[in-house]
Parts: sequence; C-alpha cells; structure tokens
Amino acid sequence: MVQENIIEFRGTKNGILIYIRPKYDFEIVKQQLANKIDKTKYFFKGAKIFDICCDTLTAEQKKELEEFMVKKYEICVLNQGKQIASDESKTTETVFKGITEGKTKFIQGTIRSGQNIDYAGNVVILGDVNPGAQITAYGNIIVMGNLRGVAHAGSNGNRNACVAAFYLDPTQLRISDVIARSPDGYYEKPKIPELARIKNNMVYIEPYLSRR
Amino acid sequence: MGEVIVITSGKGGVGKTTATANIGTGLAELGYKVVVIDADIGLRNLDVVMGLENRIVYDIVDVVKNVCRLKQGLIKDKRYDELYLLPAAQTRDKSAVTIEQMQKLTSELKEKFDYVLIDCPAGIEQGFKNAIAGADRAIVVTTPEISAVRDADRIIGLLEASEIGDPVLIVNRIRIDMVKRGDMMDIDDMIDILAIDLLGVVPDDEAIVISANKGEVVVTNQSTMAGQAFKNITRRIIGENVSFMDMENEEGFMGKLRKIFGLAK
Repeated sequence: MVQENIIEFRGTKNGILIYIRPKYDFEIVKQQLANKIDKTKYFFKGAKIFDICCDTLTAEQKKELEEFMVKKYEICVLNQGKQIASDESKTTETVFKGITEGKTKFIQGTIRSGQNIDYAGNVVILGDVNPGAQITAYGNIIVMGNLRGVAHAGSNGNRNACVAAFYLDPTQLRISDVIARSPDGYYEKPKIPELARIKNNMVYIEPYLSRR
Repeated sequence: MGEVIVITSGKGGVGKTTATANIGTGLAELGYKVVVIDADIGLRNLDVVMGLENRIVYDIVDVVKNVCRLKQGLIKDKRYDELYLLPAAQTRDKSAVTIEQMQKLTSELKEKFDYVLIDCPAGIEQGFKNAIAGADRAIVVTTPEISAVRDADRIIGLLEASEIGDPVLIVNRIRIDMVKRGDMMDIDDMIDILAIDLLGVVPDDEAIVISANKGEVVVTNQSTMAGQAFKNITRRIIGENVSFMDMENEEGFMGKLRKIFGLAK
C-alpha cells in the first residue's frame, strides 16, 4: 500500500508548517516523515519549522517527532517555545484598571450602523451610537448623545467599568462578561441621562445627575 | 460643468428608481440637460418605469467597453428633448463595470449635462461601489420603516467614509394617517437617528404604481400628491427654498363630504 502525501510541508505567513493527515498510525507517520526529509535532506537542513499540525497525534508523539527531526536532520521546531510563551502572555495580560484614571479615546460624530469602535481603554463618544453599531472598550464607555447600539465596557475583564449616556437605550449592554438586553415589547424610554454598572452580578441602571 | 448625484438607499424597494426617474424628468421640465444612468446591472428597470425599454440598442456595459460610442448608448426621452437615459445591461452582472470605468464615464457626462443622476442598486457591494464612484452628492431614499432606516444609516456611514459630503434624505411612502395613529415612524424620529438634512417627503400614492405600469412618471401629473412632492424635491435640488407640503389636509371638506356619500374610501 503506497501511502502518498500523509505529510505535507506548507508555507504560511508564520513559517513552514508540517501538516500531517489525521488518523494514520504513528509509526507510519514517522516513517513517511523520514522518507520525505531524506529526499530533500540538504534543503531542510538547519531549517526552523514553525509547527507540526495534526489532529490525531498526541503531544508526546509530536515531541518525539520533533526530537527525531532535530537529532537526525538538525531541523528544529519553533512552536515548542512559542506555545509556552503564548500561554504565559495570556495569563500575564492584565485586566485594564484605568477606569477612574486611564487612557481615553474621544470620538466626535455619529457612530453609524455597521461601524465598530475597539479600544484598549475608555471611550467617549461626542455624538450618537446608532443601532447596528458596536463600541468595545477595556474601560468605560460614555456616550454624550443617544446610545442605541451595542456597548461593551470592561471587555477584558474589568467589572467595575460603566456605561453612561444622555439617552441610554442600547440594543445590548455588556460589562465584562455580563450581558443585558433591552426588554421585548413596549417599555418606558429613558427621559434623563443614565449610568449602567454591575451590582450583585446584574446590570443596574440609574440616573447619575442628582435632583432631576 | 454638471453635478453627479447618486440616489441610493441600501435597502431594496424603497423608491430609488422611482425617485431617479421623477427627479430626472422634473429637472428636464425646468429646462436643464439631464442624463439618468441605471447602475443596477443585471436587474435593470429604470428604462421600464420611464417607458423606454423598447428603444434600447446599447447599454452601459457596451459604452464602457467601447463597443459603441457614448452618444449611441444614450436614449432620448419620449417627452423631453433634454432628458437622456443610459440603460444598464440585463445579461451581465455588477462585476462587468469597474470603479475606474464609472469615474471616467461620469466625468465625461458631466461635461455635457447639467445633472447626471445615478440610480444605485440595493446593497453595499460592487454595484453600490460603482454607483458612488463618480458622485459629487448623494440622496438617500428611505421609507418610514425600522429596517429601511437601519440600512439607510449603514449607507450613510459608507457614504461618509467615501467622502461624499452631506447626503440628504428623501422619505418615501409615508402614510400620514398611520403616523398620526402612532403606527408608523414619524419624520422627526427618522431625522434624529439618521442625522442628515431632509430633502423631501413623498406620500404613499397609488398614482406611482399606475404610472409605472404605463411607463410614465408622476411628476408630470401635478394633480397627484406624489407628483407635487417630487416637483418640490426637484426645486429644492436646484436651490429653491420650498416649504414642505402639508399632507394632513389632503382630505379637505369635499373629501369628507364624499366619504359621507360613500363615494370615497
């Protein structure tokens, strides 16, 4: 039985990827890999492979292949190191804390349907946010106008972030991982500027200008 | 040097083609040289509502690919000598023309005409991008329905991003009786969301359906409400200050009398 093309070397923007077809026996895979590299030995010598990609190989098997390649052909696989580094970076990316004092983006004008604003800080919109538009901020979102679209404050984990607007009527309001939506059917529209915060795991909306 | 105006909406079926035909005819009636272009390649119908479909020999794709000269592709209107139509192709699709070709075409037409009106297809893809390619101004058409307003908002965002300044709004098919009952959005709510200037309001009128089927435009028939509305819109485009029609009193005393006698609905 001739097993063709179980192993494929693919070029990606990150580097060379070794793609192994799933569900083949590990020994066969190893043999095929050896055959493939043997044919082009001098081409791949000293090469840095970005990753080995296979749905059915275990981590140990992958490691074995990597060691095999290093020993026999001096090909090293970069992903080992990268994998660990990316896991670390996920845990060290801190939740944005600058909601009382932090970097803020100011945008003047109406944010229209289909437009998305994404910022790793607080966002102030001097204008309206129309339905179909989305504002995603690591910090607070302040809309000096009508908020009718989707606002996601504290998007990387800060539950103390708030959303405020002159007319707070969003289709959906999210603070960190808590999502609230406007009620179905008829409901009373706001008459005064309001602020939304999380209290007891729920979104609470209250006026923020006293004596109105 | 003329002006290129694109008439767009995002949502389909709100009245772009009707508006283009009526505004084009209205401007020609006032003595301007006008060309209307159907940019809805593959689904052409500007020629149908103007009653010119049996005069089409060449279309916009032929002109753009130099199969014929521009003059050969233009069709003179039945009633007005200064109104021309450049029809779309029916057997191609919107990838048949590029943005550069549209820009070249519109700048050539600008030299010869006072107004170049482009009937934009529905959507936001290649057809839309082609239609706005050479435009100086934009008219956004919408109906007083929440879905149409949502799409109009999207379109306005795209127009602003492509630096076509200050689009204006036509609200089409409004029914004042429904607005009064609170069953239909009113103009102020729409302007509040869309935040652009209002060019005109056209009431829902049976005359539009009747005239389209005959290949005529309502603007020539000033006894219809829609015809009057389009006439006012045309005058506002050329810069006149025209007050908005009072559509609430359309019934009038005679109307009420007729209703009593069962002669009107």
